[in-house]
Amino acid sequence: MIQMLLFSSIGVALLALLYLFALRSDPKPEGGAQALVGARGALTSLRTGLLPLDLVERVFAQDDLEFVMSRSNPRVQKIFLRERKKIALAWVTQVRKQVLNLKAFHSGQSRLYAGLDARTEIVLALNFISLLVLCRALQAAFYLRGPFAARPMIAPAISVGAKICSVSERSLAFLTPGEQRFPEAAGHREA
Amino acid sequence: MTKTVKQMEVQRAAEDVRHRMLAGLPQPLSRFIYLASMRDYNTGVYYHDGLADKFSLEVACEALADCHREVFHELVTSPLAALVGQMEAYIASSQVRTHEFLATWKGIEPYRVAVPVEADPFAAEFLFSNLKIALAIVEDHLTPDRSPSPVA
Repeated sequence: MIQMLLFSSIGVALLALLYLFALRSDPKPEGGAQALVGARGALTSLRTGLLPLDLVERVFAQDDLEFVMSRSNPRVQKIFLRERKKIALAWVTQVRKQVLNLKAFHSGQSRLYAGLDARTEIVLALNFISLLVLCRALQAAFYLRGPFAARPMIAPAISVGAKICSVSERSLAFLTPGEQRFPEAAGHREA
Repeated sequence: MTKTVKQMEVQRAAEDVRHRMLAGLPQPLSRFIYLASMRDYNTGVYYHDGLADKFSLEVACEALADCHREVFHELVTSPLAALVGQMEAYIASSQVRTHEFLATWKGIEPYRVAVPVEADPFAAEFLFSNLKIALAIVEDHLTPDRSPSPVA
């Protein structure tokens, strides 16, 4: 009798647990697919839109500042500084957001897919911290002193961002189709 | 058509676009507006009958899209001084009075619908911002007294 009661209560407990799992409102896709898609999107955004040197150099270009300051009236100068401040803030906010996306991927999912060694993970963590601190410092500088006040900090931010992208690219390489990862092999097949 | 053959066709068609259709448009801004005008607003598909006859509808579309992206990048990375020059040249070639042009571009911002579909949102915003500044500078050039002075 005691044994029957024990097994029955275990059975009821297991059924209750099953019911609770079924009731979860926001089931995550298998393997954290959303995190992978988010990380891939963040990486693409950083690589193609936010960190390309030619674009960032143009945003903070000294020659644009000199052109406007030497040739235009105060109204145009104000428009220029206001627009550049808006763009500089949008840039640093986006970089920070995408870096946080990648950080979330690395702290949650990457070790399931990418065989990063301990040293790489430590260096990556330090890179995340330094870039996030740099982003905050840049935001403060843009707010308080304008878009051209923090130029010396831009290059280090891009450099750290590139390192993070490089490690993330390796971690997400398994998502890239074979032909893109091994173009030479694809070429041989077609030949 | 295999992927590689199609890519080669697209490259040939893009060369055709650069050397024939865009040859008469030296400024990136003019090329940008011209290429955007070939795109259907509803489908995002680029059309050019001559190019489609010579290659195929799909190849022509991809070649025009490639050229559009290329010109967009060129425009986004143009120095402000060059952008102002391009805008003045574009206004001169459009045969519209400058005041009228400035009022329209400032009012309805037609350049916003001219960016390639896959353009990065930040790059697009930067271009819009630069065009806004360029419009202000062109407008400033029209005023009789425009002696520069520092911002207070």
